[in-house]
Amino acid sequence: MDWLFFAEVSLAGLATGGLYALIALGFVIIYKATRVINFAIGEIMMFAAYLFLSFAGGMQLPPLIALPLAVLGGTILGGVVEKVMIRPMLGESPISVVMVTIGLASILVGMAEIIWTADPQLLPEFLPRDPVFLGEIYLAPKIAYGFLIGATVLVLYLLYFRFSRGGVALRATASDQAAAYSMGINVRRVFNLAWVFGSLAASLAGILVSATGGLSPQSGAIGLSVLVIVIVGGLDSILGALIAGLFVGWLETVAGAFFGGEYRMLATFSVLALILIIRPYGLFGTHEIERL
Amino acid sequence: MLERIHKQGRRLVTAAGLALAVAIGGTAAAQGESKEPIVFGGSIPLTGVFAFAGIHIHAGLSDYVDWINSQGGINGRPVQYVMEDTGYLVDRSVATYKKLSGRHRICCYYGDSTGFMQAIAADLNNAKNMIMSGASFATALTRVDKHPFQFIPGPSYSQMFAIILEYIAAEANKEGKKATVAFVYSDTEFGRDPIESSRAYARNLGIDVVEEIMTKPGSVDVSAEVIKLRRKRPDYVIFHGYVLSPINEFMVQMRQMGLNTKFMGTFWTMDRLIIDKMGKDADGFMGVMPYNYFGEDEDGPMYRVMHEQARKSDPNQAYRPTPYVQGWFNAMVWTEVVKRTLDAGKPLTGENLKEALDSIKDWDTGGIIGVPVTVKDNSFPVGRIYRVNAAAGRFEPVSDWIHLD
Repeated sequence: MDWLFFAEVSLAGLATGGLYALIALGFVIIYKATRVINFAIGEIMMFAAYLFLSFAGGMQLPPLIALPLAVLGGTILGGVVEKVMIRPMLGESPISVVMVTIGLASILVGMAEIIWTADPQLLPEFLPRDPVFLGEIYLAPKIAYGFLIGATVLVLYLLYFRFSRGGVALRATASDQAAAYSMGINVRRVFNLAWVFGSLAASLAGILVSATGGLSPQSGAIGLSVLVIVIVGGLDSILGALIAGLFVGWLETVAGAFFGGEYRMLATFSVLALILIIRPYGLFGTHEIERL
Repeated sequence: MLERIHKQGRRLVTAAGLALAVAIGGTAAAQGESKEPIVFGGSIPLTGVFAFAGIHIHAGLSDYVDWINSQGGINGRPVQYVMEDTGYLVDRSVATYKKLSGRHRICCYYGDSTGFMQAIAADLNNAKNMIMSGASFATALTRVDKHPFQFIPGPSYSQMFAIILEYIAAEANKEGKKATVAFVYSDTEFGRDPIESSRAYARNLGIDVVEEIMTKPGSVDVSAEVIKLRRKRPDYVIFHGYVLSPINEFMVQMRQMGLNTKFMGTFWTMDRLIIDKMGKDADGFMGVMPYNYFGEDEDGPMYRVMHEQARKSDPNQAYRPTPYVQGWFNAMVWTEVVKRTLDAGKPLTGENLKEALDSIKDWDTGGIIGVPVTVKDNSFPVGRIYRVNAAAGRFEPVSDWIHLD
């Protein structure tokens, strides 16, 4: 056993997992507050990455300005979508709302093709290029810095939802909408806040992922693959998204490195199947008991 | 007497009328037959994951048809090009094929994917009414027994790998050493296509395949794969099944590690897009290309015509990507095949068109391909190795044309 190789691969996997966790966070926040699975999360990621491309590439803005602007753009998109497309669906069946998000995904892909063309793109370099070495262990710079940025945002989110008024309102709404409403919490505003925060996480993740994986109107497909992580961690658990993201990132990378690329998905979906059998509500998800 | 003259006159008028009617009808029929358009059809991906190429393929096909019509069509018959967008979805490609072939008497058809070509093969084999080529360079299409009416407008992916491996073996011979290569490919039908046959081909040429890496489509990161390659230190990495990403990440990261590996790719990677997007990081990237690049100093009557027609259709585009040339070449082959069939006095059936295709030997493409080409196993097994000169923003040839026997 080459332990250095194992350590390098593991670290690369954990770093990838950090980005998965950030995407999963976008899913979880929206689901936790509104019970809507947002199938357009990948497309919101893609849209924000294109905004970054326009700001940093087309308009030649410095990355330090282009990055927050693009994240802001993706965040505003999420807020507007909630207000214009999701809120009118309140009270409708969950399937109808999910279909709206699928439709939204299609619209965003079409818009991206019209605005930015269908050509594959690479984002302008905005992360340091020098390789990162932890002792003898090599870590690719983009994934290392991407992980650091993602981890910082994750910690900020955890702190915000734990200690801030908005976070408490969101958790209260997630726990019991009617009770939260009767206690004076503006539930509609919480819904909007959830979409805004979910889209913010997704937008940042979209830019970081596209910095390594490239960008095209179809890049949003990664959002769906992260659904596996959300189900493993628990659809309504932020901590679950974090742990499952890191674990799945590590597992698929190690499986791919030691057994071959064809074992990556096999490993991931084996874990998913196992979790669905043992804990269908995910590792950290809420176990809802329905009495009939 | 007057009555007789009147009767004769009526007969004459009737006869003259009949003769005129027959003459007009006959002429119309003759005209209708000779002017019946020759129809090219296409399932074209103007949207979806392959739209980046589909848009240019469509432009290449349209421009060629406009040009051939300006030359009087094929043997005096106009050419009509009918197509629909498929979104690069096999079910929509099949539906488009059924719809268009139901409405038009199509003789040559552009298929947008390997999946479509394989899905429609049985239908085509039963109908025997057209030939089909397109975006697919899949090795499976070289199986003449299973795909008698389909062909590849260039070398198959396995043949592209063979051309690359021939080049590597020749370079290694010059240096008097044994070359080592790694195959890096995507976990897709497209990516896996040439791998198995290329292992054997490399072995026969004395090349060591030291690593094979299959990447997940849409991978977030490939640094674990790069770490594997660092331990094997191959002389060459051959990428297949990608357009752009993650080739850039492999190249940048491996160079950061101080490796002297050379990087190579196949047709869909070998467009100027990789230079535009990667900039100076693309320098030294090599690969196989079956056609002359647009906008170079190459010569030939058809090469010049292609440039004139492209300028005429859109003067604002100084460069046309390789899918444009691919689309143009497809239509060129169809025209050649239809012309050979008509010249032989045969109807445009699948079997006759296929016979004409197989008769293509040492065909001068007028500069689209740099050497005369011969059809072998439903393909044109020819290509040339090019290398990126990032400073000049172009691909430069580093080998002669390699025609596989």
